[in-house]
Amino acid sequence: MDYRERWELKDYLIGRRLDRRILTLHVMLGLALFGFVVNFWYLQGVHGEEYKVLAENNRMRRVTMSPTRGVIFDRDNLVLASTRPSLTLWMTREDKHDKLPQLERLVPILDIPLEELQARLEKMRGRPLFEQFMLKEDVSLDELAHIEARRERFPSISVRETARRHYPDGPVIAHAVGYVAQVSEAQLANSEDLSAGDIVGKSGVERAYDDSLRGLRGWQLVSVNSLGRQIGDARIEREPDHGDQIRLTLDMEMQRALYDGFGTEAGGGIFVDVKSGAVLALVSTPSFDPNLFADGFTQEKWKAIIEDPRRPLHDRAIASFYAPGSTFKVVMAIAGLEAGAVTPEHTVFCNGGKSFYGRRRLCWKRGGHGWVDMRKALAESCNIYFYELGQELGIDAIHKYGDMLGLGKMTGIPLSGEERGILPSQDWKRQALREIWYPGDTISVAIGQGFLAATPAQLAVMMASVASGEKPRAPSLVQGLNAPAERLPVSERTLEIVRAALKRAVDRGTGREATLGQFSVSGKTGTAQVSSTSAGVDSNDLPKAQRDHAWFVGYAPAEDPTVAFAVVVEHGGHGGSMAAPIVRQVLERYFNTEPPAPAGGEPADEDLNKPQEESGDVSIATSR
Amino acid sequence: MYRSRLLDSLDWPTIAATCGLVAIGIFSIASATSGNWQAGIWRTQVVWFALASIAAIVIVVVDYRVWAELALVMHGVVLVLLGFVLFFGRSVGGNQSWLVIGPARLQPSELAKWTTCLVLAVYLARRVRGTLGLRQLVEMAILAGAPLALIGMQPDMGTALTFVPIILAAVIIGGVRWKWIVAALIVGMLLVPVTWPRLKGYQKERILTVFDPGRDPTGVGYQVRQSHIAIGSGGVTGKGLFKGTQNRLNFLPAQHTDFVLAVFAEEFGFIGVASVLGLFYALFRRGITAARSAQDRLGTYICLLVGSWILGQMVINVGVVLGRLPTIGVPLPFVSYGGSSLIAALCGIALIVNVRSRRFVN
Repeated sequence: MDYRERWELKDYLIGRRLDRRILTLHVMLGLALFGFVVNFWYLQGVHGEEYKVLAENNRMRRVTMSPTRGVIFDRDNLVLASTRPSLTLWMTREDKHDKLPQLERLVPILDIPLEELQARLEKMRGRPLFEQFMLKEDVSLDELAHIEARRERFPSISVRETARRHYPDGPVIAHAVGYVAQVSEAQLANSEDLSAGDIVGKSGVERAYDDSLRGLRGWQLVSVNSLGRQIGDARIEREPDHGDQIRLTLDMEMQRALYDGFGTEAGGGIFVDVKSGAVLALVSTPSFDPNLFADGFTQEKWKAIIEDPRRPLHDRAIASFYAPGSTFKVVMAIAGLEAGAVTPEHTVFCNGGKSFYGRRRLCWKRGGHGWVDMRKALAESCNIYFYELGQELGIDAIHKYGDMLGLGKMTGIPLSGEERGILPSQDWKRQALREIWYPGDTISVAIGQGFLAATPAQLAVMMASVASGEKPRAPSLVQGLNAPAERLPVSERTLEIVRAALKRAVDRGTGREATLGQFSVSGKTGTAQVSSTSAGVDSNDLPKAQRDHAWFVGYAPAEDPTVAFAVVVEHGGHGGSMAAPIVRQVLERYFNTEPPAPAGGEPADEDLNKPQEESGDVSIATSR
Repeated sequence: MYRSRLLDSLDWPTIAATCGLVAIGIFSIASATSGNWQAGIWRTQVVWFALASIAAIVIVVVDYRVWAELALVMHGVVLVLLGFVLFFGRSVGGNQSWLVIGPARLQPSELAKWTTCLVLAVYLARRVRGTLGLRQLVEMAILAGAPLALIGMQPDMGTALTFVPIILAAVIIGGVRWKWIVAALIVGMLLVPVTWPRLKGYQKERILTVFDPGRDPTGVGYQVRQSHIAIGSGGVTGKGLFKGTQNRLNFLPAQHTDFVLAVFAEEFGFIGVASVLGLFYALFRRGITAARSAQDRLGTYICLLVGSWILGQMVINVGVVLGRLPTIGVPLPFVSYGGSSLIAALCGIALIVNVRSRRFVN
């Protein structure tokens, strides 16, 4: 039988039954196809435009282009902060080359242990393979030369250039210029202009003028594939707007002299232009290297700085306040003369001590000054004279003139973190301590102790004010227009008396170390008591931590002042011996009387460290 | 003169629709892979098409009744191959389904669809009168269930699922009482609580994603989501050939295999998709025509079963691409990349053409 005839032909009945069954299949398929067409129309016809947007978002990624941060110059256009290219070493992970031998060869070049490199590479596991592995930031040209010389041995290594903030004189300008770092969560929350990963100023000028320094970021659109890898060329949507340059009022030579002057001592100092309020130098020690923050700042380095008991990040020039000590006698003298409490000729007999309100107060000079008038009292810093003056004036009159000279409030220097110190009054004590003011409190305040506290910036501004006869001026850091001066509501005669006394104080009295041949300095030393045990004891005999803080404030030249200053050396003991030499070194640079000393050179003066016989105040600590 | 008569009686519309679908597939594969390391893979598909065409010609030339005589033997050989790959096959993507012959890799499971259609058609033609009895149902279940079980053990659930339309069609064509269908449905529903705990975690996720597309947008839902974006962004008219961004940037997974329709939908829009669905529907209509005009019941059954297989597989694939079915690996016949799938599908169409060209009693 032929293979064709073994199969039954269809009959009519089978045909009809089959038609029904075919119809069943047909209907099932038809329903499915109809459903599909509706579904495709829903996706493509109805919602097509929405999906087009989604597809674009899928594909295009906005990549920010960082602006170059503005350069910061000093007044002579010396670069204080710049953005320099930095080379970063990367390892491609997705190529076929063996990684381990390359890492092994890198160990002697980069001086990173193999275990660390391997551990870091291991950490990248699970990240998209095209993401490169960062071997080292900011590699030196020397290191790079070693790699480039044997390029064939490092097939997976690549070098990329990034921008990095650079401070050529790191620690010297750290507190004035500040530092930059990645924007914090808190800053992000408060600003619409910032986005994650932005580099912003964190302190100093970098922070104060961040808006103009930072510039405006641009962005480009890049096509990416599903893994986020860029494909094709980027399309620049907006060019970044680079940051503005800023020229500061700082004088780098003075800044360096001030910084070097402190040596290993902790303290703060500020020099301002008397006429404009421009800050010429601002230093706080111990300092830190702001370049560290621009580096990939490791947790350990950060902890080391944060946990350093000497608090290097703290700006002692504007944010630390100390009892002004005898420097406050300037306020007392002006208050006494202006309020009419004393005449310039009024004399007081100092025999070395006197009782006030049942407590014996001492003058620093054991034998006493004898008869002292205002000029002599201020020049030689007689405590007894000012105790009596304070008793006469009362705290609120003192407060009035202290306030007039800028104490107890911020100077307005455009740096963050400034403190206002304390200028006590009856109201202040009632509010702050919920206690009434005792007359004995005034006696302590009269010689700059007790509740009083002031920052170096405040005292420098005060001295500039005394020197110019103008109201305290907010120190400025950026070159620019200055507000017109307002006269200090103090008679010229009073100012002349004070100025003459301050000149005498330096020439023959407590500030002698600052005297220089070609120019004269007016000023006042002061001692901020640290503990009651220091009373009546030579500071240099005490352990360092218990020694008093040493002040030296003033202005120069005495005859026609152009620069005012305030320097405090923590636990420096005598103001004359510790703070005055620092001031002198800076003034040398200011008046350019000497060629700049080589960096690290010691200022030569053999008797700098000799204790001064007329330094500071000694008084028994006041009780509250 | 037989040869010219065969040429004259060939079903050219069917052949044209098939070739159209294959061409659409090759362009879509080229577009889908142009951006990645698989660029150029479309050439391989062209080679597969050539090989598949040769196989199809062989199948058309030899009378389908001869193939029917050989059906059981071929089915047996395929079952042996399926058993062979289970132990010695190459594993790809977790499925032990590949048979490596020299440079070529073959999936016997694709061939099993073809032989299953054939043996079921033979069984229906020889053994079934009126409606299916229980004995016949069991025997058919053994014929179709054997390859299905072996494939399910690989485990290739996608391919196993494509047997369902074939079996369903065979039961419908054979004629079955409604009570059996109701009974099957009840048994199936009763099996759900038994089967569900046995499913793997990702399988459960895929099924749940059908009902809740927002679920797990980075995992299982990602594929469906990206598929929707690709399809939707094509709009009505499409972005143009090689202009689709979603597939070319590899956002779309399996873009040249199971999700190739999404690629096409992105580049040719609703009009293009409707055309593809139309071509498939045209094939189905041609299959029905061939079935009606077949000179014997065998030819009728072959056409209906092969048509149900290919259209059923198409429905599953499109359902997956649209997110209406759980994501399982089922290629779109003729269009998706893959040699075994293309060969099997063309051989299926060849059977329909074969029956159609021999519709006249000689």
